[in-house]
Amino acid sequence: MSKTLTNRQQWGSRLGIIMAVAGSAIGLGNFLRFPAKVAANGGGAFLIPYFVALLLLGIPLMWIEWTLGRYGGGFGHGTAPGIFHSIWRKNRFIKYFGVIGIFGPLVIFIYYTYIESWTLAYSFFALFGKYHGLMDQAGMKSFLSGYQGLEQNQYFNGLGWAYCFFLITFVLNAVVIYHGIKGGIERFCKWALPALFFCAIILFVRVLTLGTPNPAQPDWNINNGLGFVWNPDFSALKSARVWLEAAGQIFFTLSVGIGVILTYASYLRKGDDVVLSGTTATSVNEFAEVILGGSIILPAAFVFFGPTEIQNIAQSGTFNLGFVTMPLVVNQMPLSHLMGFLWFFLLFLAGITSSVSLAQPAVAFLEDEFNLTRKRAVMIFAAVAFILCHPAILFLKNGVVDELDFWGGTFCLVVFATVEVILFSWVFGMEKAWAEVHHGADMNVPAIYKFIIKYITPLFLLAILGAWFYQDWLKVILMENVAPENKIYVLATRLGLLAMFVVLAILVKLAWKRKYKEEEIRP
Amino acid sequence: MRPDGWLFLIIAWGFIAGLTFYCFKKILTKKTV
Repeated sequence: MSKTLTNRQQWGSRLGIIMAVAGSAIGLGNFLRFPAKVAANGGGAFLIPYFVALLLLGIPLMWIEWTLGRYGGGFGHGTAPGIFHSIWRKNRFIKYFGVIGIFGPLVIFIYYTYIESWTLAYSFFALFGKYHGLMDQAGMKSFLSGYQGLEQNQYFNGLGWAYCFFLITFVLNAVVIYHGIKGGIERFCKWALPALFFCAIILFVRVLTLGTPNPAQPDWNINNGLGFVWNPDFSALKSARVWLEAAGQIFFTLSVGIGVILTYASYLRKGDDVVLSGTTATSVNEFAEVILGGSIILPAAFVFFGPTEIQNIAQSGTFNLGFVTMPLVVNQMPLSHLMGFLWFFLLFLAGITSSVSLAQPAVAFLEDEFNLTRKRAVMIFAAVAFILCHPAILFLKNGVVDELDFWGGTFCLVVFATVEVILFSWVFGMEKAWAEVHHGADMNVPAIYKFIIKYITPLFLLAILGAWFYQDWLKVILMENVAPENKIYVLATRLGLLAMFVVLAILVKLAWKRKYKEEEIRP
Repeated sequence: MRPDGWLFLIIAWGFIAGLTFYCFKKILTKKTV
């Protein structure tokens, strides 16, 4: 018996879905990736391409995904294959493009959960002072490498701790999605988001009140720390790379182009607003990113490490910033155990509210297209995902995480978003799409967005894809930046990803075959 | 921080804080059915 539309789960409240989407969007990137990107791409001047990308790419895609998700949900489809099929029924193949909307989230989930588990572990370590005596980069890097199983040292002698925290994190994720949209994700995000902001605001205030901790270095003060992030270097705007970086950051930070917002929005009622809700989720994410994220780690690092060392720190990468620099910074503050705990627990909350959203498309696909119960769908997802998480854990040093992050977290996003916007504006049709966006809306979309969504957003996306193909395609395919000893692992990861995609495509085919068979049998 | 740095910070923070406030005000003052 097919699942009726009335059986489909729904959000309990408007604030519930806003918190869930904001939670999905707010992640490690808000607090680590954003400040690093700003500092490396012109400081305050980076906010110009950033806001241009937000207005021409981020917000339109947010509205598009909320609208398409709600539309597809009305037909009982919570994932992109079904949603795309609802938009373009005459096209037999469009549902296979939709596979990206399940594939991408799953690929990201299988490494993101592991990194998220590090933040839980470090919260524990901070509270109990496990890294408290470490005062330099070398020591803290060694601590991290030991934890990751990359070396055996006085801190760790294997993956035991890391695996334990991974298991706890994985189970937590499974428990949340097991309880469903309203009883699980919504309920969880309704406390996790406020808790996240609570931690972030305490750290924000703590950093902004640092003053000049070292009287011997009067220039190492919070004013100059903020200046490192915000002082504009307008010459950076001449570089196309900076504009691409800004567009990329907007993509990552808003969780658009992945498929999770489509799935979340599919649980809305037909008359529920998407415009104000989507704008609110966006603004909450930007608040976390620009105001809080931009004011914690780099300004604090500047105050304790100074203007010369900060240049290296800002270029050192996301993991280094979060797991090496920040603990060292916090170790020099009063109440360092508490501050360290707040930092890592903040990252953990940011991570888990994102990872549950990454899990939901696969679960929704099994529920909606194969009529499985939520319990069965979650069990199947958990079993498969658990196995798939292991390459990231065991082969971290061999570039597996970087490879998964590239295909799932970079390439798929842009391709998927391009397909979405073309379907929305050109296949669904702008007039029909505009009416659909405004159905039940509590806010009008400015009329200029009719033009932006139809012409500017797709062109912007095609420009990003084109620039990437031109600059990086061959280098990526030929693994030019991969160490020789890691090439076999990267190749194996690529083959594994291809296999995953093919399996998902076959599942889509099977699901549709079942549906047509059912429709033939039904009188 | 230079004056132009402060300008960028104030504009960015102001825009985002203002948008967030506007959105929540609209949500919270909307009559629910």
